[in-house]
Amino acid sequence: MKWRGMFRAPARTVALGSAVALFALLCALPIVWMLGVSFVGSDGRVGLGNYARLFVGPRERQLMLNSALLGAGASLLATLIGAPLGLLFARSDFPLKRLLRIGLVAPLVIPPYILGLAWIYIGGPVGLMAQLFGHDLLSEWTYSLGGAVVTLGVGFYPLAMLATEAAARRVDGRLEEAALLVAPRRRVLWRITFPLVAPVVAAAALVVFVLAISEFGVPGLLRVNVFTTEVFIAFSALYDFGAATAMAIPLLATALIAGAAAQYVIGERLLVTRRGAGAGAPLFAGRKTIAVVVVLFVIALCALAPILALAREAGHIRRVAAAASGTAIKNSLWLSAVGATTITILGALLGYGRARARTRLRGLADLVMIVIFAAPSTVVGVGLISLWNRPGWGIYGGQAMVVIAYLARFIPVVALILAASVRQVPISFEEAAELSGAGWLRSFIRIVLPQIKTGIAAAWIVAFILAFGELGATILVAPPGESTLPIRTYTLIANAPSAEVAALAVTQVCVGLAPLALLGLFAGEKTKEAASDA
Amino acid sequence: MPEAFLRLLEVTKRYGSRTVVDHISLDVAEGETVALLGASGCGKTTTLRLIAGLEEPDAGEIWIAGECVAANRRNLVPPGARGVGFVFQDLALWPHLTVAGNLEFVLSSAGIPKRERAEKVNETLRLMRIDHFARSYPSRLSGGEQQRVAIARAMIANPCLLLLDEPMSSLDAELKKDLMAELKSLQSALDATTVYITHDRVEALAVGRRIALMKNGRITQIVIPE
Repeated sequence: MKWRGMFRAPARTVALGSAVALFALLCALPIVWMLGVSFVGSDGRVGLGNYARLFVGPRERQLMLNSALLGAGASLLATLIGAPLGLLFARSDFPLKRLLRIGLVAPLVIPPYILGLAWIYIGGPVGLMAQLFGHDLLSEWTYSLGGAVVTLGVGFYPLAMLATEAAARRVDGRLEEAALLVAPRRRVLWRITFPLVAPVVAAAALVVFVLAISEFGVPGLLRVNVFTTEVFIAFSALYDFGAATAMAIPLLATALIAGAAAQYVIGERLLVTRRGAGAGAPLFAGRKTIAVVVVLFVIALCALAPILALAREAGHIRRVAAAASGTAIKNSLWLSAVGATTITILGALLGYGRARARTRLRGLADLVMIVIFAAPSTVVGVGLISLWNRPGWGIYGGQAMVVIAYLARFIPVVALILAASVRQVPISFEEAAELSGAGWLRSFIRIVLPQIKTGIAAAWIVAFILAFGELGATILVAPPGESTLPIRTYTLIANAPSAEVAALAVTQVCVGLAPLALLGLFAGEKTKEAASDA
Repeated sequence: MPEAFLRLLEVTKRYGSRTVVDHISLDVAEGETVALLGASGCGKTTTLRLIAGLEEPDAGEIWIAGECVAANRRNLVPPGARGVGFVFQDLALWPHLTVAGNLEFVLSSAGIPKRERAEKVNETLRLMRIDHFARSYPSRLSGGEQQRVAIARAMIANPCLLLLDEPMSSLDAELKKDLMAELKSLQSALDATTVYITHDRVEALAVGRRIALMKNGRITQIVIPE
């Protein structure tokens, strides 16, 4: 019986080692490679020439200011909308709560540039508002930094909401109950609950800041000059590889600093998802009607209004049906499914390795994951091209390159999601299996995976939604004639009738919302199971 | 005293600069039950995990049934090959498997043929008087019933060494008394060598033929109850 155990360590080492090696190759190497390329000038000489241009000109300084304002504004708006909603969901009970939560999360599954497009249909020169009032009211504001801030704030507030809700649920309800004995609810909320969730709210704000400055589609669409759009122009219009890579450095540095700060603030809580002891105190009791009205207002403004604006612009269901039958959507569905499946397999192994790691370097591993996820999509795209575009390799120029782009961008976030799931499985479950003589692989497949199946399903859906909406990296690496739905929509915006573009956008929204409903269903089932177990 | 079935020789375990188990030596004869008694954090659980092979010692040797299973700062025999049954403090029942499934997994991991497995599972469930819960999931059972399942799982593969980590800590006094009596009769029926961890003096006196008192990672005294 001894041989069973003797093969255990190699099986684990081979599986986790292969996953780490693939992570390094697919996710980390393109960015490291790009850093190397940034030191090579257009004449082939190694030096700091590309960086010299970066910090001197007024244009570059304006880019830096625009990027910082975009990030800070979107982060502030997302937190102002999301954090109170998160507290409301964690500490109150009202009718149709699960359905309303799905409604509030909806903007997160709509790619930001589609939200931007919807706001153009509402506030643009020939948009809904202009038609209603008979003259152009908002277009100057829509096509501005302020417009981009609002679009991204609306797109990312669900992140602040979900993080705040999760953090509030972890707070021991007895702490609030003890305070409620001596203080009114509002005071308890501000003096007890909010300070306890504040670190997570701050970390979520930092994540939104990084995601906002990494965004390419919205500033590109609303004609706001920021670093991501300049990287795209430097590479795809001017073919200035060195400048493109050097301009990516401030973004990467910001991602690194914000990622380190977020990781420092929330530490191991990044992977802890258990509820605190005791149910949360009902801090919003007696205000059910106000809560529902506020939630419905936010849903109407942030989710329904953009979707209805797109549907109105598309005009007819037949147009949407025609858009849904094209090659681009088939490519997108197929490539996103392949990408999401591969991401989930690798993410499960990496997440397991992270959750069970005892080394002190695990904090560094989290930081690497956060920074890679926060790396701007156009930066990842440029890194992928500089690494994979080599004669004779046979990968660049095919559909595999699109899948590689998905992997490069989204493995880290899925690995972190699944690490949180694995952390909920007590280590003693695996130890009991090990004592039974089960090898690591058997224990992983029979004991660990069945217990994180909901997490795996959720991770697959998240990966699918992210891959389906990916634009910044794939627009750079997709082979000619093999475009995905986001690429087709984005490139048609300037060249095709708006009805056709809106029909494509509606299709994309529908594909994003279907998995969200599935996710809601999974969460609902889990809640039911927990309730029946209790 | 007969030759030791379980022997710990100067076993030490450190976590960073903290020594959790400090040069422990202990002999347990075949079929004997020894209770390790001590306050929380004195190193009882770590000692048990070292015997099971779930931790590697920083110094010392561990021998089971005449075979050296750990020495030179590493485990020579992996946990699954030590013939050990373990009842965890949190029981560690696999929640996605039924009661029968929990037991069956142990046998299938040991490579026992399917037909024999079903028979053995039924037999063990009957012995522990939980056969009517065979198809239930652990979360549906009471604390005492879960405890029985955990003990059944630890015993099903006929381990030569039974390690119990505060198995009764979450039970009320009445249930604890009943289950202790049952455990004792099961132990004598199986004749398994047992190491039983507890912080409850009464429990230690009830189960242990000898009681090893632990403090700050060391065995300070070995007592034989009258």
